Amino acid sequence: MNTSSKPTKLLGFIISNLIVLLIIGVNRALHVEKTGVLVYSQFVILPMLIGIISAWFWRDLNLKTKTIIGYSLINSLLAIALSYLFLGEGVICLIIVSPLILVFVITGAFIGKMMFRKKNQTVNVSIVSLLFMVFVVDSIADHQYENMVSDEIVIKASPSKIWNNVVAFEKIKQPNNYWLFKIGMPSPMQTTVTDYKYGAGRKCIFSNGYAFDEKIVAFDVNKNLTFDIVGQPQDPEIMGHIDIKRGQFLLKDNGNGTTTLVGNSWYKLRVFPIWYYDVWAESITRNVHLRVMDHIKELSEQ
Amino acid sequence: MFSFVVKKLGFIKSIPLTALIFDSGIKLWLSIAEPNKLEWLDTLEEEVLRWESINISLHKFGGTQFNFNKREIGHVHSNGILDILFSQEIKADLIRSGKAEEHHVFKKSGWISFYIQNEDDVKLAMALLRKSYLRIAQKSI
Repeated sequence: MNTSSKPTKLLGFIISNLIVLLIIGVNRALHVEKTGVLVYSQFVILPMLIGIISAWFWRDLNLKTKTIIGYSLINSLLAIALSYLFLGEGVICLIIVSPLILVFVITGAFIGKMMFRKKNQTVNVSIVSLLFMVFVVDSIADHQYENMVSDEIVIKASPSKIWNNVVAFEKIKQPNNYWLFKIGMPSPMQTTVTDYKYGAGRKCIFSNGYAFDEKIVAFDVNKNLTFDIVGQPQDPEIMGHIDIKRGQFLLKDNGNGTTTLVGNSWYKLRVFPIWYYDVWAESITRNVHLRVMDHIKELSEQ
Repeated sequence: MFSFVVKKLGFIKSIPLTALIFDSGIKLWLSIAEPNKLEWLDTLEEEVLRWESINISLHKFGGTQFNFNKREIGHVHSNGILDILFSQEIKADLIRSGKAEEHHVFKKSGWISFYIQNEDDVKLAMALLRKSYLRIAQKSI
């Protein structure tokens, strides 16, 4: 490759990312800002568009497949860095989204490679029309998704011994086992309450100091503690991506000196596609549950 | 993995772009696990594109499709499986002589599959595509 191809190559990285950043900015200003939902098209169509635009700049460079994949990786890292700088996304969120972006940028680059080959005009029209249609329809469509995650553990203690540890507990000192917590995702640390009764305020404090403000809506001693989340933490890793709606602990006396503790969480996802993000949301919620419930178990079995 | 997805999750190919996305995942995996295979596929593409009236497009189920004018002469998936449609007679002959195998999905059709597993296989793949090319070109005259 000669030196005259360098500016073209660089434009493939720069222009594609700038165009997509502009589209996100306009899209947020016009529509998405109202609901805060990050739609399917922003994580699927726009990375593809980065790949397609790049392929237009690289169309005469006769790039090998390995090179296109390498350049797509650079493009994805650039897109992720720009999302961090200009869209205020958190580092953990960007780690979660990075495989999705990479695969779609690569897909776009290979679609673009075919599109911008001479004599291939039909594919240009069909693919661009399809992407545009999906983007428009998805941007204006209503996005609603709620889910519940449930986990249970058995504790060698009676419900009455466990109950107070369920309502509130001191700082968790055990090291984190979940890989996302290990690399910096905030993990649950402590829970405080204003009172041990229905209607009391509760706070679930995370390792970075951010807290979920909660209100106890069911206080059935030794059986059921349910709380609604009344204030979401303003953490960039969570804000605008997931709303935890409600949490619940159910205690079931097994009649043999042990108690089954069930932890339930209801959440609303604000990032799409669901088939990708809900896998992560379930995994994270499950590990939050297990960290708290293991701590309750340890406290209760002392 | 490819076989499992094609046979058990084949229905997802009807979702637009899904097959292309799956194919990109294969390319990404090969760029780490078997980068040479990507080079062999590039070589195959470059060589076949030298033939007269040959063009390429994206195959609807992922991969590169080789076309003589607008007729497909064969396609290669990014994991190195080359699929070509021949008559039943030619297919039987190719399988008998060990030059190709039954298609990885459509066993009863005239489709054959050839698995590119090393650099020498590129020449054999090219020979199969050439056979299909000449057959279709002759029909088009």
